[in-house]
Amino acid sequence: MKKTQTKAFSNLVCAIILLIFEGWAYYETYSFKVQKKAYVQPATFPRVMLIGMIVFTLILLIQSLIKVFGTMKENDPDNSPAPPINPFTNKGVLAALFVVLLCCCFTFFFEKLGYVLISAIICAIIMWMVGKRDILVILLVSILVPLVLWFVFYKLLTVNIPMGVLQPLRDLVDKI
Amino acid sequence: MKKFLVIALALSMILGSTSVMAADYPNKPLTAICPWGAGGGTDSCVRAFCEALSKELGQTITVDNRTGAGGVTGHEAIADADPDGYTFGSITFEVVTYNLLETSEYKSYENYDPLCRLNADAAGVTVNAAWAESNGITDLTSFIAYCQEHPGEVRMGGSSNASVWHIAGGYLMNAADIDIRMVTFADGAASAVQAAAQGVDVEGVTVSLAEARSFIESGDLVCLGVMGEERVAAFPDVPTCVEQGVDAVYYTWRGFALPLGVDDEIRQTLQDACAVAVEDPDFIQYMETAGLGIAYLNAEEFKEFLQQQEDVDVPAAMEAADLL
Amino acid sequence: MDWSLLFQSYGAIFTSLQVILMALLGATGGVLLGAVPGMTATMGVALLIPFSFGMDLIPSIALLLGIYCGGMYGGSISAILIHAPGTPSAAATLLDGYPMCQKGQAGKALSVALFSSFCGGVLGALIMTFLSPMVAKVAMKFTSAEMLMLAVFGLSVIVSISGKSISKGLIAAFFGLLLATVGQDPTYGAKRFVFSFRPLLSGFSFIPVLIGLFAVSEVIAGVERIVAGDEKQESSHEKLTRVLPDGKTIKTIWPNILFGGIIGTFIGAIPGAGGDIAVFVSYGFNKSFSRHPEKWGTGIPNGVAATESANNGCSGGAMIPLLSLGVPGDAVTAVLLGAFIMKGIQPGPMMYVNELPTVYKVFAALMLANIAMLAVGCVGVRFFAKIVSVEKKMLYPIILIVSLLGAFAINKNVFDIGVCVLFGVVGYLMNKFEFPLSPILLALILGPMCEQNLVRFVDVNNGNFLEILHRPIAMGFFIVSVATIIFSIYNQNKINKREAAAAQAEKAE
Repeated sequence: MKKTQTKAFSNLVCAIILLIFEGWAYYETYSFKVQKKAYVQPATFPRVMLIGMIVFTLILLIQSLIKVFGTMKENDPDNSPAPPINPFTNKGVLAALFVVLLCCCFTFFFEKLGYVLISAIICAIIMWMVGKRDILVILLVSILVPLVLWFVFYKLLTVNIPMGVLQPLRDLVDKI
Repeated sequence: MKKFLVIALALSMILGSTSVMAADYPNKPLTAICPWGAGGGTDSCVRAFCEALSKELGQTITVDNRTGAGGVTGHEAIADADPDGYTFGSITFEVVTYNLLETSEYKSYENYDPLCRLNADAAGVTVNAAWAESNGITDLTSFIAYCQEHPGEVRMGGSSNASVWHIAGGYLMNAADIDIRMVTFADGAASAVQAAAQGVDVEGVTVSLAEARSFIESGDLVCLGVMGEERVAAFPDVPTCVEQGVDAVYYTWRGFALPLGVDDEIRQTLQDACAVAVEDPDFIQYMETAGLGIAYLNAEEFKEFLQQQEDVDVPAAMEAADLL
Repeated sequence: MDWSLLFQSYGAIFTSLQVILMALLGATGGVLLGAVPGMTATMGVALLIPFSFGMDLIPSIALLLGIYCGGMYGGSISAILIHAPGTPSAAATLLDGYPMCQKGQAGKALSVALFSSFCGGVLGALIMTFLSPMVAKVAMKFTSAEMLMLAVFGLSVIVSISGKSISKGLIAAFFGLLLATVGQDPTYGAKRFVFSFRPLLSGFSFIPVLIGLFAVSEVIAGVERIVAGDEKQESSHEKLTRVLPDGKTIKTIWPNILFGGIIGTFIGAIPGAGGDIAVFVSYGFNKSFSRHPEKWGTGIPNGVAATESANNGCSGGAMIPLLSLGVPGDAVTAVLLGAFIMKGIQPGPMMYVNELPTVYKVFAALMLANIAMLAVGCVGVRFFAKIVSVEKKMLYPIILIVSLLGAFAINKNVFDIGVCVLFGVVGYLMNKFEFPLSPILLALILGPMCEQNLVRFVDVNNGNFLEILHRPIAMGFFIVSVATIIFSIYNQNKINKREAAAAQAEKAE
């Protein structure tokens, strides 16, 4: 196996990305307000945490550098293949990416379309995607579950969940 | 799915055509936004009042707790609400601090249409009993004298940062011309009271009497003066600050407001309903047992009060408490 | 201790049909509320306060305590079944509960959780009955220095839940502590990592992050597994013959229950520290003293027992400062305090003098609430255990929409759904690259507590941190934390060696 396909290499990449993030975050702490008459500044605690994070990221970096460029034992757990992350070569990852996209749509349309409608749509799409082909079941589950959830939250727990375009349904429930 | 949508569409058309008219207001349930969590002081106040108000209006009122960002989220939700008169909300003391702390887009009370003020709870100057005794402090005058002799040494707990009670400390400093150190207790008044009762970390607190009640009764804490206009019913023996010659009147308050742009007639209906609801015997009894003081102001008075708070009183106190 | 009065009070409570009914009603509601991510016992209690207004004190207290105890157990149901802790206090239950479920032992996990919850709750109630004044006295000593060191002690547990790579666990922990600083700083209100984006002012809310990291990430990973064809639908339908664990299991888990219950009760008694902290401390503590630390986290009943007994012990613990000092230990008891005051009773030292029968009746009501929770749980276990047998292809989308709704419901804030999705992705990626998730959670709980007490302690002592040497309780916690860290590192090395040896042996065959 090529060393660039091992977990050790993915650890190396993780460590580098983390270091970039940590550097940026540390730089950001300089924009925090400086408090007069304060012994511990608002920026102190985040900085200490960042230093802790940097120290252990460096340890991870050095460990993986040694393993990638030096020798690695056959049975080292880091010598096993790294997990797939390329959505173009792995359809599982592509599906995962699609779910994330759907979640973003959910957030975006939550108020406009209302919880019940957007949930029904997303629920149905995911079920179809993972290979459920029974249309009746898909429709029943994806419509009834959000509807019942909404009803329970609204009527029993008096938690008002946005209904968006289905607002008339809420007015109807209110009337009854 | 399709059929469902068709039905929904048809329904929306029927319901949409009966446009909301001021004459038959209110003809559907109302929503009251509460910017603080379920179960807290504001929440119980809002729920009790809505109970009384709904009797008056003949419609149910759902309380919607919109929490987060130190009350900013809920307050903004009120200002942003559809001004059809069916959504109103509770505004609390914090609303006049947002401008100064630069935490909200809706910088001023002018972004709201005040309905009425409901409740006010005065801050108290409460100190550790053992500490007071060993330093010969018996009343507010001797406390102030001690603070003047030891500037910046007396530490008082004032709940979380920029909270009512934190600012109360600043108010006291201005009124009595003393320098005390306000210590922040981010997890709330209860832990400040606890520390003061132990005599660790702080010497006293500037929270309401209700919050320090159990320790005052047990004798761990002693209240030197209450910053209200009158004495508190539950503690008739505790004198006010004014009685002791210190002109410090400071309290937290809770009221109701509408978003701007509500129809005049609807607003009038609501204002009248509030004026009646505040007299409701069940509501009065609830407030009494919960230890919440009723301090009603009508819309006009409330507006003037808000103006005074935002322009004069609060900025000065926050300045003194090192918050600005 | 007035024994005859105590027995009288217990007798009065356990024979009153109304009180029993209320406790059962409360426990049912609590279990269901707790099981839905995003709904917490606090919300349930607050919702029912106006409802209980018309009732007498004791039935209404029984109702509220029923919700409280039921909610504590309910959280574990979703933690075990769908990897989404229903309440923050159930966050540690999934460490072993979910692996058990994946091994096809969902029913067993649920029954262990129920049994441990009950025992922990009873233990808490007993400690509360007999040791209240003493525990309260110690708990009251906890001010900034002690709270700081308690937080440090909690954080020391991170090493033992880090899994194979301690450095990855610590990176995750520091990342969590960093996340906890987003928003306005608790002491001075300075804006940190806000980027002029106002929803970030109050930082990330805990529950959306929790749901995102565990439930949403699990859904994303689950869909990936199904599409890639790696998902194994559990064909072995576990036969649930009994709703409570058998004698053999009880024999192995009783020490965990005992320790968990005591730790839970004590931490619950400290105002400002609750079930969410207690469960991790109990988990770490029990793991350190286990003879087989390597099995923890792979799905053993001991892990579930240690956490569930701790969070239910908390309910008894939290009542201690409430009754004996009038100081609420957590959000639920703050609401309960309101209920007492509403009935004209001010909890506090004077209550033990003036209202002793009421105090004893509250003790009895808590005991009853735990029994009610057991009864409801026994009926429910069979039903809940069926959830796992729902086809995964249908279960994942349902979990997703329930989770996202839960993230919204807690603050009614759309931004929180975004936070939940974001942390779903973070959790998915962290799982993929073998970073442990639970340290982030622990750090999010303890970070603010750690920081604000540190800042306060240094401030009130004029910058002299060494003043902490004069605080014996704080120093005690500090020593225990150091010991925990050393012990966990030693343990982890032992585990890694054993595993390497096992792998070697496998190869040799």
